[in-house]
Amino acid sequence: MDQSENYWSQRLESMRLRRDKINSRYNSWKKDTLNPWNKSSRNITEERRNSSDIILREVYTEEDLSNNIDQELGMPGTYPFTRGIYPNMYRGKLWTMRMFSGFGTPEDTNRRLKYLISHGETGLSIAFDMPTLYGLDCDSKRSDGEVGKCGVSVSSLKDMEVIFRGIDLGKVSTSMTINAPAIVLTAMYFALAQKKHVPLENVAGTVQADILKEYIAQKEWIYPPEAHLRMIRDMMTFCTKNAPKYNYISISGYHIREAGSSAVQELAFTLADGFYYIDMGIEAGLDVDRFAPRLSFFFNSSINFFEEIAKMRAARRIWATVLKEKYGAKKERSLLMRFHTQTSGYTLTWQQPMNNIVRTTIEAMAAVLGGTQSLHTNSYDEAWALPSDNAVKVALRTQQIIAEESGLADVIDPLGGSYYVEWLTDQMEEKAFEYFDRIERMGGILNAIKSGYLQKEIAATSYKRQIRLEKGEEVMVGANKYVEDEHPISILRISRKAQDMQLKRLRDIKRTRDTAKVTRSLDRLRKAMEDPDENLLPFMIDAVKAYATLEEITNIGREIYGGWKEPVIV
Amino acid sequence: MVAGKSQSLFKDRPIKVLLAKPGIDGHDRGMFVLAKSFRDAGMDVLYAGLLPTPEEVVDTAVNEDVDVIALSLMNGAHLTVFKKVADLMKKRGITDIAIVGGGTIPDQDRPKLARMGITGNYGPGTPISTIVEHVKRRAEEARKRKLGLN
Amino acid sequence: MLDTGEIVSGILRGDPRSISRAVSIMETMPGSAERRKILEAIYPNTGNGQIIGITGPPGIGKSTMIGKLSLSIAQKGHKIGVVAVDASSPFSNGSILGNRLRMQDSLTSRNIFMRSLSTRGQRGGLSSTVWDTVTIMEASGMDKIIVETVGSGQADLDILGLADTIVLVLAPGLGDEIQAIKAGIMEIASIIVVNKIDREGAYMAMKDIQDMLAINSADGWVIPVIGTNALTGDGLEDLMGCMEKHWIYLHEHVNIRESRFKNTVAMDAKIQLDQIVQRSFQRALQGMETIPGKNGSPYDESNSIVKKTIESILKGG
Repeated sequence: MDQSENYWSQRLESMRLRRDKINSRYNSWKKDTLNPWNKSSRNITEERRNSSDIILREVYTEEDLSNNIDQELGMPGTYPFTRGIYPNMYRGKLWTMRMFSGFGTPEDTNRRLKYLISHGETGLSIAFDMPTLYGLDCDSKRSDGEVGKCGVSVSSLKDMEVIFRGIDLGKVSTSMTINAPAIVLTAMYFALAQKKHVPLENVAGTVQADILKEYIAQKEWIYPPEAHLRMIRDMMTFCTKNAPKYNYISISGYHIREAGSSAVQELAFTLADGFYYIDMGIEAGLDVDRFAPRLSFFFNSSINFFEEIAKMRAARRIWATVLKEKYGAKKERSLLMRFHTQTSGYTLTWQQPMNNIVRTTIEAMAAVLGGTQSLHTNSYDEAWALPSDNAVKVALRTQQIIAEESGLADVIDPLGGSYYVEWLTDQMEEKAFEYFDRIERMGGILNAIKSGYLQKEIAATSYKRQIRLEKGEEVMVGANKYVEDEHPISILRISRKAQDMQLKRLRDIKRTRDTAKVTRSLDRLRKAMEDPDENLLPFMIDAVKAYATLEEITNIGREIYGGWKEPVIV
Repeated sequence: MVAGKSQSLFKDRPIKVLLAKPGIDGHDRGMFVLAKSFRDAGMDVLYAGLLPTPEEVVDTAVNEDVDVIALSLMNGAHLTVFKKVADLMKKRGITDIAIVGGGTIPDQDRPKLARMGITGNYGPGTPISTIVEHVKRRAEEARKRKLGLN
Repeated sequence: MLDTGEIVSGILRGDPRSISRAVSIMETMPGSAERRKILEAIYPNTGNGQIIGITGPPGIGKSTMIGKLSLSIAQKGHKIGVVAVDASSPFSNGSILGNRLRMQDSLTSRNIFMRSLSTRGQRGGLSSTVWDTVTIMEASGMDKIIVETVGSGQADLDILGLADTIVLVLAPGLGDEIQAIKAGIMEIASIIVVNKIDREGAYMAMKDIQDMLAINSADGWVIPVIGTNALTGDGLEDLMGCMEKHWIYLHEHVNIRESRFKNTVAMDAKIQLDQIVQRSFQRALQGMETIPGKNGSPYDESNSIVKKTIESILKGG
């Protein structure tokens, strides 16, 4: 394709033509009313801008709306789904209140999951500790001191058996927040289902598995990008055929944002990742309408209320239009962007932690007004450590109050048609397309990652914000304004016992398992890894059933594919 | 006067800092912000990259003869992992490189870290200027030791 | 710990802490007696290593290349030292010493000593600090010493002037080839490398450079032009071969001991002179008559400053 005329730049061109009004009403108001007022009352008229560096006017009018607003909005459940992906939205079914949990030992996690189920949580979510996220066993030299610290430790299928003890895998939907070794954890989940005689077609859940954003933001990888992408492809093809209710990827902007990006960078980089996965599925020979409906997204909801709402509305519209126009998706379900949202961890302060409840409430409201399908609300003590039971309960109650007391769920897309929100949605969309265009000109998202471009963009945004905070141009209540003397809050502590228990369990497994079976299954897995046309998932399932450990499995890949070093960012 | 003295201590060789996250922790947002902030405060800054081992951190600190090692962890493993770095330094008899810490460190842990010689231990939301001032103070001590001034 | 005797014996033993501390002394106390003592003491153990300057515009892959190269060189049984110069921020004078990170894996796996220096400060001049560092590394038994610079400005040219073998690294498509020629580095290069040969335009860039060299062909040594890919390691064997060939060529055509001696004398004298002149000059400046016209024109006053400076030097600083 001619680089100067790619799909993105053409769309961008047409977007820029969608407003041809001259803002006469605003201009004359400013001249006749606002300016004289400011002059006489000596108001300070400083410029306002949001995280995406979009300069905000004092007020918006109907002249700020697109000429094609009707087509660009659609109605709820109709193309391009700006107002929501379902006709009935929350009047039909509330969003899923999905609280991220998992810490310490599998026993602790099992208890926490059951506690949340008994308090009305409707979906399970599991966090893993750092060694697990990097594909290391609890007895690895590097794991010392880290076992069970940031989530649950899983070294073998045995741990998964304990986590889900007494929980019916055919009835729950489980979300596992893991990326680099996602295929191994998926294999464990499937193996567990098979052992419990739950057919794979009934297994519902989500694994994050979005490796691109790891290179961009969270920095948890094991191999070079190509090796991980191959594993995602394998999950894609396997699940499309065998586990249709399992979301094998959750394309995530959350971490991009937490790494310091702006809202529009989160939007653009996440969707660019999404388009890459679409390309990959098509290249693997899958029909876009067969796999696109299983892709789901995960966004951050930060503190700038309207910016977040506009971001989510723009995301839905971009996804639907690009899937239809560029990828020729025919089925409506392929065009629907389903997404999970988590309130921002970065906006929480360790100072005056109760303020975090208020921040989380505002962010959760934005997610609901933005039309999210599921929501995690952070706990007020999370700037310090993993949340305590009490803090988690308040966070869950926050969602319940929004859902059942506030009236926010009564009317679909209540902000639709707001001059400001619609204008901002358009702005987010255009700025995202500018990034899509630039990324394409750089040779695609993989090149943009390997050259460090995306990482540098994020680091630059994050540093700029830090300087604004230092100068007090941006406010964090309790941290750089209205500061008080602080008292430490009580926090959850993971004892070293977790590590000792895990070590013992792993030792027992290694002693009692059928070693010959482990070796055989690992040998077969190695051969499959060396053959790029083989699908790895069945081999992984065999290996985990034989109680091969996470690290034994990932080590084969380490030998075959090697590791990966990112370019120097600063 | 402290400012004047430190000026001459660092006149020909700016404060040299090594930023490192020696655990299994890829949250590098803060590292990048600090790297740029330290540079903009006139320091020479090294970043140890992702997942360095405690040995790598100490080797780099020695070969580069830094004044301060600035450790950060957000994964709750600071008591174990920071200690490994401090222990290695002790084992090699290095007393002229200061160690400071930061990350998600609860108040209760600060005295324990301080006993290992790791100071600062600032949490999220700490003003950069506070961190820079602390690093400068520790760098001054370290530099005086290096020059045999105390 | 400023026991120079201990530092010297540490250097000769190859102890990283002593080497490192000695370099710090060169950086921090350029005119000091300690510096002099150390250099005097280790001098008999120097002069045997090959000093390789690797230069080229920023972002071209030099550090990555040095990482890979030093691994291969180490495998051949050599002891390697690396000195990398990073540019300081013109605003704060601080710097982010990023070059080390680009080669960290190699450093760790072969236990290679590397030192990062920034361009700021350096009363005695950056080039002399680098030279002192190289001397210390040589004395500690390192026989291949790589010096990385961005190759712009007089300081960089001074540094490169000290190297035995100068490798100029360029990349296709950025117009760098032309810039480098303008900067005057091309004339002193011993080997020219075009990195990122997987990129479009690499072949043409190499051809352009070869054409240029055909006109400027130096006496006896034909400057090789090598294509490399630092990421994959392609072409690095070639580069190593050429570096070795150049070392042999030097031994056959140049009296290395003598030129090393000359360089050291010139460099050290320059440091000392700089220090003396600067001290007297600064003092003379302080006594400047600043009221316009009182002592004649600004040029009259500048003459008097020069006179005062020289008088002060003659009086012994």
